Amino acid sequence: MKELKSFFEEVYRSNYPKVVRLCMGYLNGDGDMAKDVAQEVFVKVWQHLESFREESSISTWIYRISVNTCLLHIRDNKKKKVGSVERMKDIEDETDDVSKTGQLDQLYQCINSLSSTNRSVILLELEGLPQKEIADIMGISHEAIRTRIHRIKNELTKCIHHVDV
Amino acid sequence: MSTFEDLQSQWKNQPEPQLPRKGSEMIIGKVTELKRKQRIANLVLSVTILILIGFFMYISAYKESRVMWALFLMIATLIVRVIIEAFSIRWINKLKMAMNAHLFRERLIDYYKGRAWVHYVITPLLILAYIYGFMVLLPFFKASLSHGFYTYIVISSIVSLIVLGTFIAKQIRKEMRILGKLKNM
Repeated sequence: MKELKSFFEEVYRSNYPKVVRLCMGYLNGDGDMAKDVAQEVFVKVWQHLESFREESSISTWIYRISVNTCLLHIRDNKKKKVGSVERMKDIEDETDDVSKTGQLDQLYQCINSLSSTNRSVILLELEGLPQKEIADIMGISHEAIRTRIHRIKNELTKCIHHVDV
Repeated sequence: MSTFEDLQSQWKNQPEPQLPRKGSEMIIGKVTELKRKQRIANLVLSVTILILIGFFMYISAYKESRVMWALFLMIATLIVRVIIEAFSIRWINKLKMAMNAHLFRERLIDYYKGRAWVHYVITPLLILAYIYGFMVLLPFFKASLSHGFYTYIVISSIVSLIVLGTFIAKQIRKEMRILGKLKNM
């Protein structure tokens, strides 16, 4: 039990930031809600850690739980629009400049306009996961993921340009 | 115009969210607390059922067969509804969170289809059975209660039914909207 707890502690430390980032992307940059969902993700990680079979890496396993937990949250996602001021508080980095936060706002806004599945796919791509791993997490073939990512990338860059103008 | 690589570097350069102090310990504590609450909820449910049975025996309802069946019907519909809700919560909590997103979505659709069946078939039947049980009891209430109290019971029951009906209708609309969203993903 003690060993499991220290393993969990390690898993938590190394994965918390990316889980929160993923959740923020999913929830239109809502920092408070992202932290709540991230907590829910780690509750599930702790509940099922003993059953983790090492068939995939722990990080892939956690990403699967995160994507599915975020999917469950479409149950009460009210598509809240989050302003940059609120997010600046969330990220707790007072030195960050406003234009950078504004750009992130645009990115969140454009991600939020995608379908739920496409949102998950592009967030994992933004995190820099290999496409094979994204395919494994999403349960879609590698070939289909490659085509889909190409399409979403175009959609996203067009959207950012549109918001810019 | 930003390229996707620009967006990716923007994404990766965003400030790291701060790790909550003693976060992992809090999570472990929360899971223990959840298990404790689950045990308490089960206990409360069992005690409620026992109290209902006790009340049933206390008022000697079994001596009057019509009253007995009416009360039995009302209590049974409530118990069935509570059991269905408990089963639904268990179903969604038991979903394997580590399966791939495609399979998870399929399971979630199955869950909401199950809920639709509960909402459109079982719930209306239960409500009708409950109302029938109540109507059977009304003449007995009229004979044994004061006129004021009888009127109060009739009016408050109608109001409760309207409130409950509105609540259930809202819940059904919400869950069916989610089912629609899941199917169109």
